[in-house]
Amino acid sequence: MPTTTTCNGVRRRDFLKAGVIGGTGLTLANYMKFASAGEVASKATANAAIFINLTGGPTHMDTFDLKPEAKAEFRGEFNPIDTAVPGIQISEHLPKLAQNMHLFTILRGVTHTLGAHELGTEYVNAGNRPLPSLEYPGYGAIVSKELGGNGNIPPNVAIPRSRQKTGYLGVQYAPLNTGETPKPGEMFSVRGLKLSGGLTIDAVEKRQALLNDLDKTFRGFEETNQLVKGLDKFGQQAHAMITSPKSREAFDISKESPNFQKLFGETPFDQSCLLASRLVEAGTRFVTIELGGWDTHNDNWNQLKKKSPPLDSGLSGLLQGLQLKGLLETTTVFVTGEFGRTPKINTTRNGRDHYPRCMFMLMAGGGIKNGQVIGKSNADATLPDSKGFSPDDVAASLFHTLGISHTKEYHTDTGRPIMIVRDGHVIPELFA
Amino acid sequence: MPRLSSVALWCLATVAPVSLANAVLADDIIAPASERFASKDASETPNFQQHIVPLFSRLGCNGRACHGSFQGQGGFRLSLFGYDFKLDHEGLTKGDKDKNKEPRILVEEPEESLTLLKATLETPHRGGKRMDADSWQYNIFRNWIKAGGKSVDEDSPKFVKLEVTPSEIQFGKDGEQTQIKAVAVWSDGTREDVTPLCRFNSNDDLIAAIDSNGLVKSGQTGDTHIVVNYDAGVVPVPVIRPVSDKTGKKYPKVETPTKVDELVVQKLRKLGIVPSDVCDDHDFLRRASLDITGTLPAPQEIVDFVSNQDSDKRAKKIDELLERPGYVAWWTTKLCDFTGNNASFLNNVGGNLGGRDTATQQWYDWISKRVAANEPYDKLVEGIVVATSRKPDEGYTAYCERMCAIYGPKKEGSYAEAGGLTYYWGRQNFRQPEERVIGFAYTFLGLRIQCAQCHKHPFDQWTQDDFNQFKGFFQGINFGVNPRDRSEQQAIMAKLEIDTKKTNGGQLRGELANRAKKGDIVPVDELYTVKPQAAQNNRNKDKDNGKQNARQPAGPKAKLLGGEVVSLMEHDDVRAPLMQWLRDPSNRFFARAFVNRVWATYFNVGIVNPADDMSLANAPSNAALLDYLSQGFIAHNFDMKWLHREITNSQTYQRSWKPNDTNRLDQKNFSHAIPRRLPAEIALDALKQATSSDTEIARLQTDLKGRAIAIAGTNGRAGNSNGSISFALTVFGRSTRETNCDCDRSAEASLLQTVYLQNDGQVLDLLNDKNGWVNSLAPHKAVRNEREEKRSDKSIADAKAARKNFEKSLEGNERELKKARKADNQEEVKEVEARIAELKAKIKKVQAGIEAKPEETPKPAPVVVSLEPEDLVKAAYLRSLSRLPSDSEMETSKKFLTQSEDRLSGARDLLWALINTKEFIVNH
Repeated sequence: MPTTTTCNGVRRRDFLKAGVIGGTGLTLANYMKFASAGEVASKATANAAIFINLTGGPTHMDTFDLKPEAKAEFRGEFNPIDTAVPGIQISEHLPKLAQNMHLFTILRGVTHTLGAHELGTEYVNAGNRPLPSLEYPGYGAIVSKELGGNGNIPPNVAIPRSRQKTGYLGVQYAPLNTGETPKPGEMFSVRGLKLSGGLTIDAVEKRQALLNDLDKTFRGFEETNQLVKGLDKFGQQAHAMITSPKSREAFDISKESPNFQKLFGETPFDQSCLLASRLVEAGTRFVTIELGGWDTHNDNWNQLKKKSPPLDSGLSGLLQGLQLKGLLETTTVFVTGEFGRTPKINTTRNGRDHYPRCMFMLMAGGGIKNGQVIGKSNADATLPDSKGFSPDDVAASLFHTLGISHTKEYHTDTGRPIMIVRDGHVIPELFA
Repeated sequence: MPRLSSVALWCLATVAPVSLANAVLADDIIAPASERFASKDASETPNFQQHIVPLFSRLGCNGRACHGSFQGQGGFRLSLFGYDFKLDHEGLTKGDKDKNKEPRILVEEPEESLTLLKATLETPHRGGKRMDADSWQYNIFRNWIKAGGKSVDEDSPKFVKLEVTPSEIQFGKDGEQTQIKAVAVWSDGTREDVTPLCRFNSNDDLIAAIDSNGLVKSGQTGDTHIVVNYDAGVVPVPVIRPVSDKTGKKYPKVETPTKVDELVVQKLRKLGIVPSDVCDDHDFLRRASLDITGTLPAPQEIVDFVSNQDSDKRAKKIDELLERPGYVAWWTTKLCDFTGNNASFLNNVGGNLGGRDTATQQWYDWISKRVAANEPYDKLVEGIVVATSRKPDEGYTAYCERMCAIYGPKKEGSYAEAGGLTYYWGRQNFRQPEERVIGFAYTFLGLRIQCAQCHKHPFDQWTQDDFNQFKGFFQGINFGVNPRDRSEQQAIMAKLEIDTKKTNGGQLRGELANRAKKGDIVPVDELYTVKPQAAQNNRNKDKDNGKQNARQPAGPKAKLLGGEVVSLMEHDDVRAPLMQWLRDPSNRFFARAFVNRVWATYFNVGIVNPADDMSLANAPSNAALLDYLSQGFIAHNFDMKWLHREITNSQTYQRSWKPNDTNRLDQKNFSHAIPRRLPAEIALDALKQATSSDTEIARLQTDLKGRAIAIAGTNGRAGNSNGSISFALTVFGRSTRETNCDCDRSAEASLLQTVYLQNDGQVLDLLNDKNGWVNSLAPHKAVRNEREEKRSDKSIADAKAARKNFEKSLEGNERELKKARKADNQEEVKEVEARIAELKAKIKKVQAGIEAKPEETPKPAPVVVSLEPEDLVKAAYLRSLSRLPSDSEMETSKKFLTQSEDRLSGARDLLWALINTKEFIVNH
């Protein structure tokens, strides 16, 4: 669902879309930069990522960054509990994650300044502060471009849909939206992937060959029209998925063993996490899951009592499941909302309002040292204790785990060079 | 965060500094504050609105991250982006007793004011250093404090306008620069150079970068705007750098037969962009049919049109298309998008007795009736804006009788016939005055005003005050029973004899709806307005978080957006002056918003883009063009068809999609057609048409039954049997009509769309449909459609099973009859005989059904269709791509057909391939 509220001081973009002429190959200049940066390719362990977008902006003070000592007008109703890692505490309403604290890492004191949903979401989905003149691609588009497809499995999948844009990379890198979330124990399939009506693979191949011969009207114009280019790419991907039993099975969570399914609860988010683990196993490079409803201006704590359990069980299941399958080391999990929420309680509504200055993010797997807290917020959680991290830094680190140099440059169709992440630095503590 | 740049740079760009207060230049323009306050001896007293508040913006003090935050920052709060003078002034002058904090300014000792100490970093300031001591900015603040720190009062001059020069910038090469100058005009006649107090932005800093002092630098080729902000003034300045050397005299001769072409080419000439040629007849017919009627041209129509030698044939075709039902359906759908016709907000909407799907259908029908009659746009809108439920002079009981007749057994009359589109006002997301302001501005003004609900709009002139004063027009518009009709309502209720004590609200509503269906007269809710009241009752304001209840009557006055304060007391219906303002020729938004949306539908981008964001900072790419069309639309009495004709008859609309070297990158100046994905409803209708038999295609041209563009609601279910189509509509991005945004409709392509086209059961069924094209080719040898066959097999099997049961039962009864006769029980005999007769009749009926089954499937009338490969290929191309195949396409397709197992499966594969080409799914 599109969001339209754009009420802060940054200009709304004008949806200028740029192409990728000249930017698709690894140029010599890029290669040199890549090599001299040195930090990257050899250390990378991940070949896939799962991005969980907590839309609405979850409060940091009532989830992963509690301040039991803070003044009453800041503190909030919830108590911290101990976790599996000594010294780390999180909200009492996240007991399962507390037990699995050794499987992920908390970033505290992440900070930015965009306090409107649309712009904040764009920021944390692309790792670049939104600009009026340019649309940055989201992580999924970059990852599927850089790591490419893996057989006939769609490289970029969103359950059920994604806020990420494809920006100057073009619509061809857009995710496959499943449109629905799986239900516990039931067969799940993306509609249209099954061969039906007595069609055989041979018949489909024959049709496809004819289509390839006839679909020539726009040939030669792919580079000047992103729609044409995108449709080309989708045509190939769709065909590959339809003719491959492997790709259809990748979506069917009912094929998982009952024991594995038991790791997950029954909520749509739990089941989406289950599907994500299965897709990654099959070769999908980037999975986006959305869990919304965190915009708790009103009645913050009662709302959180309802919002926390699905996150708690779904994410715990995902981390355990990935570990069980031996995929945690090769899969980076990244969880974030668009901002934190005002540490000072809005007493007229018993809620917390938008607050980008101080927020939390979670990362796990993909070579990250799990079971840590990195960064720190100040005593009343209004600011990072020292410099803090920007969403750009976390994005750079995400790409780092995947062996993608965040300083790599693409070119828009007007020849403007654009780095994957303009201002970020890999956070060394994540890999300590 | 804006950073204060070197003051010196600014001074260099100006004339020698003048330290005299009120120094007046030759043309009566007061010199910029940066000069007047450059010396610390400057004695002039600056003003709060003119100087202090703009400086807060310039220095970044009132941004969201700083003191503009709703919680304030460090105990000091300013209104976000300024313009709430009271709040800002109090923030500076009033301390916080609770926190034992002193005021931020000290009149006795200005230099010791916290504001100045913080901003110069004399004392720690989390926002860092904002200015130097003794800088002109500092001197302004100091002098203002020294003079008592006065706010704005009743007598303060009002802001009139911001004059910016140059009004247009044309760059030629790298490194060129132009300084912007901005003069503010005030109601007392004062004209002040406010350049150093403005904020500057570029809409595309690749083409034109602007620094904080208003110096514009040339960048890449293309065109954009730089935007100057000061007070309520938001002035965009176009910047152009030609993309080729084909400008001015070097520009080739381009025909401009219409005014639209003239204005478009005028801009293109400046840009050095040469438009593409006019497209061929095939492209024109396909494009115009899809755009105007949401329908593919019929094969025969294409052949006839192309061979027609009439030089005026395109204009005639446009006229013809505008008379087709497809035009009505498609533009009704678009108007339903803009007005927000969504069943999920219409639960129990007042005046409706038929459920939300009925309401959504009635909404659609209401608009459809008016589009069909080509009612002037302002009149159509009047029916929405001042909608009431009653006809003029209609009594309450008469109203109830009329409404009940619509839902009663005879279904007399309709919602669309009398009264206005009251549902617009009754939606669940359109109840609070705030929601109404936002929704109304979106629908009729093309404005996104929501920002101003809480603070000054950052890209437009609107302040929170504008928003709140406009709200007055949206109160006192109620649904229910007008208290003055209470006795009539009770009388009607009494006749129904319903025990209301035993029913809750929902049950009662259901019961009343049922009774109306049976033909009873029941009380019906209506939209009625309450006369404004001089003294407003604000007692409950705090209780509901400041939201004023829409039921509360309006106050004595309200202010039009960017217009006059209107006294409401003389109006029974406060919406009347609102409507009067909308249709007034001087209204800057109403006609333009619609014109721009219509244009955007034809060109993929609006003249202002996005089409529903007509804020001042989001300037039109071609202002003259938008002005011409808007004024023409008004001058032609808001004739919607005039607008469609004016646009589609232009060469600009009829250009080829094939770009040339100069216009390849142009996306917003209309130099060539831009291929765009078909909108959801049109895509699905096109699929249906392309796969239908010739007779069905002919029907679809004039009959909307089964068409996606005729679906009223957003869920693809209301009033249409095609329930299952909702999945496809969602995949292709039909408008959700949820969020007051044209972006509720998606024009993006996606992988799932392609999967649908290639392999969804629905598409494959269309290709195999028994009434489809492929089967129509061989009436005697229908291509197998397994689903259909299975279904009919099953019904025969069911019938046979039923016959068996009846037969068994018959045997039993016959045995009983024998027994009864033996026993000579006449009564029993009679009874059993009756049962036997009944069973025999049943068996006969079932048997007839089984035998008749094969005949039940209607065999398509035997049409003589050529199965020659060449003819099949032509037919397949015409029905899908609306053109004949090229020689090589013919060759490839013929070869494929002759190599196929049989002609029909070959034809089906060919059609599958054609509907999966990019050419099919885009309008080009």
